[in-house]
Amino acid sequence: MTFCPTRPNHPWCPESARRLFGYQVAQSSNEVGELHIVQYAERMQETAPDPAIEFKEVSYAIGGEPLLRSFSLLVHPGEILVLLGRSGSGKTTSLKLINRLVSPSSGEILVHGMPNSQTDLIQLRRGIGYVIQDVGLFPHLTVEKNIALVPRMQGWTAERIRARIQQMLKLVGLSQEMGSRYPHQLSGGQRQRVGVARALAADPEIVLMDEPFGALDPLTRDELQREFLSLQKELRKTVVFVTHDLREAMLMGSRIALLEAGKLVVVLNPREFLHSDDPLASAYVRAFGDGLESIANRGES
Amino acid sequence: MSVLQFMLQNRGQVFELTLEHLWMVGVSTLYAILVGIPLGILIAHRPVFNKPVLAGANIIQTIPSLALFGFLLPLPWLGERADRLAILALTLYALLPIIRNTYTGIRGIEPAVLEAGRGMGLTEMQLLTQVELPLAVSVILSGVRTAVVISIGLATIAAAIGAGGLGEFIFRGLAMVDNRVIFAGAIPAAALALLADLGMGSLERHLQPR
Amino acid sequence: MRNRRHRWAVTSLILPLLLSCSCSMSKNRVVIGSKNFTESLILGELMAQQIETHTQLKVERRFYLAGTYICQQAILAGRIDIYPEYTGTALTAILKEKASSEENAVYQEVKREYENRFHLTLGRPFGFNDTFAMEIRGEDARRLHIETLSQAVPFAPQWRAGFGYEFIERPDGYRGLAAAYGLHFEGEPRVMDLGLLARALHDHEIDIAAGNATDGLISAMDFFILADDRHYFPAYQAVPVLRMQSLQEHPELAVALEPLAGKISDTDMQHLNYQADGLHEDVSNIVREFLRSRHLIP
Repeated sequence: MTFCPTRPNHPWCPESARRLFGYQVAQSSNEVGELHIVQYAERMQETAPDPAIEFKEVSYAIGGEPLLRSFSLLVHPGEILVLLGRSGSGKTTSLKLINRLVSPSSGEILVHGMPNSQTDLIQLRRGIGYVIQDVGLFPHLTVEKNIALVPRMQGWTAERIRARIQQMLKLVGLSQEMGSRYPHQLSGGQRQRVGVARALAADPEIVLMDEPFGALDPLTRDELQREFLSLQKELRKTVVFVTHDLREAMLMGSRIALLEAGKLVVVLNPREFLHSDDPLASAYVRAFGDGLESIANRGES
Repeated sequence: MSVLQFMLQNRGQVFELTLEHLWMVGVSTLYAILVGIPLGILIAHRPVFNKPVLAGANIIQTIPSLALFGFLLPLPWLGERADRLAILALTLYALLPIIRNTYTGIRGIEPAVLEAGRGMGLTEMQLLTQVELPLAVSVILSGVRTAVVISIGLATIAAAIGAGGLGEFIFRGLAMVDNRVIFAGAIPAAALALLADLGMGSLERHLQPR
Repeated sequence: MRNRRHRWAVTSLILPLLLSCSCSMSKNRVVIGSKNFTESLILGELMAQQIETHTQLKVERRFYLAGTYICQQAILAGRIDIYPEYTGTALTAILKEKASSEENAVYQEVKREYENRFHLTLGRPFGFNDTFAMEIRGEDARRLHIETLSQAVPFAPQWRAGFGYEFIERPDGYRGLAAAYGLHFEGEPRVMDLGLLARALHDHEIDIAAGNATDGLISAMDFFILADDRHYFPAYQAVPVLRMQSLQEHPELAVALEPLAGKISDTDMQHLNYQADGLHEDVSNIVREFLRSRHLIP
């Protein structure tokens, strides 16, 4: 047992011990169908590095109304953490605490290890991409100028900005000539693509997304979800994604944090969520009906 | 002699009075912009000042213009010169449309735009100068246009207290009981108002954010 | 794009034209103002024609300014260079001093104060005193052999009086007059519009009226002005008011206006007023005729 922390592969190491020390079971097939424990060396480093974002006992109340209570959560670099909950559960509030659009009543939020109250507010926000449901493109600027905004403020050279715009448009699946169009000339889906491009333009490590595909029709939503996932495979950003839709949560998230009435209920990966005993989680699963299995298994976990 | 012939014959004076008129309107509108737009921005950002500021400007508007000229007469320095007084009165009258339109223009911006802007790391000043004002400029300009057209009309009354301008023709024509003289003042004043309205209207349309 | 350029081209052409217009006008022109009643118009026109004839300056007329305050504002702002005023009005309305009947003292004080406070100066008086005048019918004056107010006092209780609103209201109007001379009239004085006083006096509806010394209808209707032997009424000498700056720029103005000094008596002014108000003759013609008759213009 004593060697379990460092030698999880040892046959004498029980499964429970492995779980305790944060090792995940991975199935790997062999001809005999025996369960093999895969070497976890790389895996360990993946799951135990410094968190990109950490909530430490964060509470937030406004006018006596508590919106968030003693909220503690880790967000690992490179993952998509979904904040799932109904309206009023505190999910949007927690998102906004990260880029300090709201300030906590107590507790602190650490971004890359530093309390975000101590970082320069403007630089904090410029280093975090922010995508919201209504997109919020600047109507008086072209698509190009919208995308170029943060890079310009950060003093990038014109050359670099131009190249980046081209790259971003390609990344989100828009043609180059879209660059000179104005937001009102775009469809909802195109606008949100620009929204994503704008958020990623200055290459932030963290991206916050507040129900970004909620206002789109199901077909476009599906498109954008899949495209964003493949983008994420390439870019490996740390993403915090807010939604009330379990389907979306299962599809997008590497982990799902369920919130209710300002409290964190559970944090589980999609498959665990599906089979969870927690009453709220199972209520969600029931509410969203069939087909969740395939989604849960389709997504990475 | 018809009105047109009369105006042509006295074109020197028509011209001079028109210039006096434009000067009064121009200077007062400029002052109103310098005071009114910042005030409008203030109440748009801090709605707590909304009521007192708008109420104050509203009260000024309800004072009959000739009465306002009269109230201001006893003031030191200002009251000594009718043109200063007229410019002060015209500035006060121009405030309400400009403050109110600045307020409406900024409040009318889609909240998502401002949220996105803040989230992206724009400072409050950058948000104001690069997002709010450019988006509100058309509405603000509409307020300025209203102010200018009102001022052109009010400035004709300023002649009653000796500030000059096209109103002088009108009052003179009334004393002489000569319609041509009245028109020599009224027609250019109306033409100025129309030109201002059309000119600024087209500028507004040109600047409208899409 | 073409429209924009077109617009700029037009503006850039018009603007310098406008500016150049005003510039060329200011150099050798003088603007003469006047109030909006006949006598002031006549005086303004007198000065205008005198200056036009005897100088190279272009004269602009800005007449019918509605009142003392407006004329004062206009001359202070430089919109007019000269206008005709009355010493008594300047003293009370502008300088806010008490009225006085000392002609010379009033003139000197007004001139001094105007020069110190406003950079305005007074020309020499035109020669008449447009103060209040107590008028009776000529036939009555001759019948009773009276010429002065003091001589009229014993007959006053038999007379019905008619006054304008201002004369009744002002403390230096009727009340002061009655006190100064011990005047009492039959019943209460009737208050009526100034324009109707002459007719009422002529038609024997009233027997004495308070008018102005230069009323046009005085000689026409054979009215007689009772002399103010106790010097009750304030001095209202008609004088030109000039901007000192205009005088400096154009000293020929003083030369041109000098011949007018003292040339217009009370009777002269009455006559001029009558020609305009009574006979409805054109003011510039009246003035030209007068100037010619006095050999002031060729």
